[in-house]
Amino acid sequence: MDGVRVGKRLIGTQAPVTVGWENIRRVEGGPVKQFVFTWFQPTMLFALIAFWYYAPNSIAKASTAVGIGIGFKVLLLALEWVNPRYESWRLTWKELVTDLFYVAIGYTVLNLIEGYIGSDAVIEAALRSFDWEKFAWFMALPLLLQAFMISFVFDFGQYWMHRGMHNWYPLWLTHAPHHYITQLNINKGAVGNPVELFLIGLGIGGFFDFLPRAALLAGTLGLAVGTYQHINVRFNSPKWWRFLFNTTEHHSLHHSQDYEATRSNYAGTWVIIDRIFGTCVDGEAELLGMEGGRKMSVRETMTYPVTEGWKTIRQRFGRPVAVPAE
Amino acid sequence: MNSRFIDWIWNIRGSLALAPEQSSDEAFGRLDSLFRQIGTSHDRTKDTLIFRKKDPAAQDKMSVFNGGVLQIEKGAAGPVLHYHLTSRALLFCFLAPLLFLSFAGLTVAIGKLEKPSTEAASKNPEKKNVELPQNPIDKALGAPAPAKPKKDGTGKSEEDDKKPSPTSAYVFAAIFAALYLVGRILEDRLVKTLFKKRLLGL
Repeated sequence: MDGVRVGKRLIGTQAPVTVGWENIRRVEGGPVKQFVFTWFQPTMLFALIAFWYYAPNSIAKASTAVGIGIGFKVLLLALEWVNPRYESWRLTWKELVTDLFYVAIGYTVLNLIEGYIGSDAVIEAALRSFDWEKFAWFMALPLLLQAFMISFVFDFGQYWMHRGMHNWYPLWLTHAPHHYITQLNINKGAVGNPVELFLIGLGIGGFFDFLPRAALLAGTLGLAVGTYQHINVRFNSPKWWRFLFNTTEHHSLHHSQDYEATRSNYAGTWVIIDRIFGTCVDGEAELLGMEGGRKMSVRETMTYPVTEGWKTIRQRFGRPVAVPAE
Repeated sequence: MNSRFIDWIWNIRGSLALAPEQSSDEAFGRLDSLFRQIGTSHDRTKDTLIFRKKDPAAQDKMSVFNGGVLQIEKGAAGPVLHYHLTSRALLFCFLAPLLFLSFAGLTVAIGKLEKPSTEAASKNPEKKNVELPQNPIDKALGAPAPAKPKKDGTGKSEEDDKKPSPTSAYVFAAIFAALYLVGRILEDRLVKTLFKKRLLGL
């Protein structure tokens, strides 16, 4: 395969990928379908922003956000059924059960652990000692600017953590299992080794019944934009959306079987961060995974960082086995 | 105890009448592509096919199964395909509710152990009441004025809020139980339809 030159890199020499927006397929079907899958993303984004902007204080709380998050994902699962991006990514019963298992681990065990030693513990400590007066300058800014700043700064951190995972072996060991997925569906974001999920802080809760409204607005950006990273739906995303936000197209390239393509599009929500640092590649891929698309079992996903790390340590520092001379 | 009483949990058995003139060779030939997938190995004798799958791809139409035996026998009305397939995914889904119920139990136990220390920690000095600022743009657009979190305005004490909740574990236990029932019926039907389509061209 020749690949396509993007800057200094050749993308798609190992596995087929599509590079460039002009080469990406559009939604096919009648005018109603075209209309729905063109306007769904911006409409939902602005509707959710308006909801959190105007919701009374009694409703604007974390538990409402969790409820909306679950409802939104169920709706997106229905869209996967109606307008799949690729037939080969269709959700099967087994895939749904496996994906939900990782989601369930996140909501139960990981959440419990996070309450003691993870991000939730940090948030808890921060909320206890929060001095509202010191943050008055921030809270006096327009609400949407506050939300943008929270979302962007958080995603900036995620970008570097994710890029670090692709460049530093100990971190890669925790992230690698996530790259063995061979298709993108709504709950695939949760598939991976729990240590990675812990590092990335996917656990929910922590804030209990109180979150500043700006944080809820920032969270809704993650929901109404970041969720589309792992989805099997074809949308005609607007140009401004693709320029600013990460999309399933960007993320499918990141998960492709082509090594160079995986080293792109690290951001969660704001793909513009990738554009700033020169790691953005616009395009898409259907063939995903590692080692030619080998499926990783749940058991291997759980043990991979330890078993693979141990293998590497033995290879590097282990005593060489003496081979008798003939 | 006879394992047949419980092995329906992860085993799917069925049979399918073939066309009277269809030979074993022709029937297995029509199914051949199903067993030429990544991670699948198979052995065939005249009337029997045994297959095994290791980490099949999500796109494999029989990925839910780990192995099985397909046998063609001569019946009174013509040849019949009998199949016996095993699925670790079905067993895993059947056991998943137990796993999450145990997580719920663990969460409740931790909550009980935690209670004394939480009570001690909850005696925090009240901070002075400060008005939270709101930008004039937001005020003009009609966004509600910001409010500080209430200490116990909702009727729930702070300890109740902080206690780890087992609810999500119970919910997922129920979800997996429902998914098991759906999967046991659905996968049984899907594999029958798959074989029917290949063998009878329906």
